[in-house]
Amino acid sequence: MVKSETFPASRNRVEKVNAELVTLTYGTIVAQLCQDYENNYAQVNQQLDKMGYNIGVRLIEDYLAKTATARCNNFRETADMISKIGFKIFLNTTPTATNWSADGKSFSLILDENPLADFVELPDDGRAQDELWFSNILCGVLRGALEMVQMSIEAHFVSDTLRGNDSTEMRVTLLKYIDDELPPDDD
Amino acid sequence: MAAICSLFIINKSGGLIFYKDYGSAGRMDTNDSLRVASLWHSMHAISQQLSPTVGCSGIELLEADTFDLHCFQSLTGTKFFVVCEPGALHMEALLKVIYELYTDYVLKNPFYEMEMPIRCELFDLNLSQAVQKDRVALLGR
Amino acid sequence: MIGVGKIKQYSNVLDKPLSKGKQEVSLSAFSFLFSELVQYNQTQVDNIAELERRLEDAGYSVGARVLELLCHREKGNRRETRLLGILSFVHSTVWKVLFGKVADSLEKGTEHEDEYMISEKELLVNRFISIPKDMGTFNCGAFVAGIVRGVLDGAGFPAVVTAHFVPVEGQQRPRTTILIKFAEEVLRREARLG
Repeated sequence: MVKSETFPASRNRVEKVNAELVTLTYGTIVAQLCQDYENNYAQVNQQLDKMGYNIGVRLIEDYLAKTATARCNNFRETADMISKIGFKIFLNTTPTATNWSADGKSFSLILDENPLADFVELPDDGRAQDELWFSNILCGVLRGALEMVQMSIEAHFVSDTLRGNDSTEMRVTLLKYIDDELPPDDD
Repeated sequence: MAAICSLFIINKSGGLIFYKDYGSAGRMDTNDSLRVASLWHSMHAISQQLSPTVGCSGIELLEADTFDLHCFQSLTGTKFFVVCEPGALHMEALLKVIYELYTDYVLKNPFYEMEMPIRCELFDLNLSQAVQKDRVALLGR
Repeated sequence: MIGVGKIKQYSNVLDKPLSKGKQEVSLSAFSFLFSELVQYNQTQVDNIAELERRLEDAGYSVGARVLELLCHREKGNRRETRLLGILSFVHSTVWKVLFGKVADSLEKGTEHEDEYMISEKELLVNRFISIPKDMGTFNCGAFVAGIVRGVLDGAGFPAVVTAHFVPVEGQQRPRTTILIKFAEEVLRREARLG
């Protein structure tokens, strides 16, 4: 009666799509927002962050289901999971987690590759290069995803190769663990 | 159908967002299912606090003389539990499969609103396949 | 905005070799992104027809860029000039690049000369989506219809393109048919070319 003998195994495989489908779809989203917000890039950044948050609170369950990871012991471990597993699974790229603050509560993610921004040029209006954070959705995704596993964080871009910077860098800061019963010791 | 009587999904605040019963045994009305969900949510939380060691993640299996209750809680606090015949096999694996179906057919559906009751045709369809007896048996391999 | 524009001091995108398009990311990443695209657009409209139109517009700009990209990469800057050529380009080349497979079928409408249909048992964008009952016949494939319209329009084949659920005998789930109705001028030109 059951045809698919490979049922349990097939569910564990991570299905792939051409990165260009994601690049083009994301580009369309940003273009739509620029139009809807009449090139008010501050609002576009904000909306991208909000959309990312909505994605993050859902995506975290997909991440947990696919990786079956246990709770991280400290924020450094979390940073490692984000770059080496989270980004790897979803966007097939591994940003570097670096530039840790002395208190271990903030770090930078350096994105050497960014599938969202492949063959993208910012609008040539003399403002976008200074005001638009094209990949800002990623900040929201991290914020949403981590909030669901009891970590309140702040994330923002500090540089972007699309703006002519040398690197694309996101700064991530742990604000607090949300449930005080659960937080592990952070040293 | 496998030896499953019912399946519950509870959101992180203890609200019942999905309930399905399989077969006549243990069928309950909406009020009762909501009550069971919120009771289980509380008991699960209490069990974490009762634990003599730190880091307990709550009850995973409750065994009674007429049924077993298997519970899986994701790190986000979403709980999935099945009530089944005593000694029914592969229930942990089945809960994992159901969790994956939830991440696919519920969370990737733009028309599903977070924390709200689940009404997604594709989730129902895939779920009813997953709980088939022979499918569940395959989970043991 | 994407992939067009002059060389600026800020950008080196035109100096970069065009990617071969072999990079892959997870289906999940796309599905969450697409889901959010639909959710965002829902907040911007008052009714389903408008939602359909906005998704189609979003798809259109993807289609326009896909055409540019593929004509350059796969066809040495040439593009199809005949009706059947462009249709098979959409059904095979475009589909393969975007959805990883050739579309299930390409058929000519039986009732109208100007209609063609591309059908897919399970459209990638619809993989995880259940349409609520109160949304009637709405199909998120409107996005894909927009992509098709974008490609066709860019290649000089203006058409009205729509997405429909079509029940299939013996199947629990309907398939999605992308219905293409070409503009009159396209058919006249085609007839002239013989």
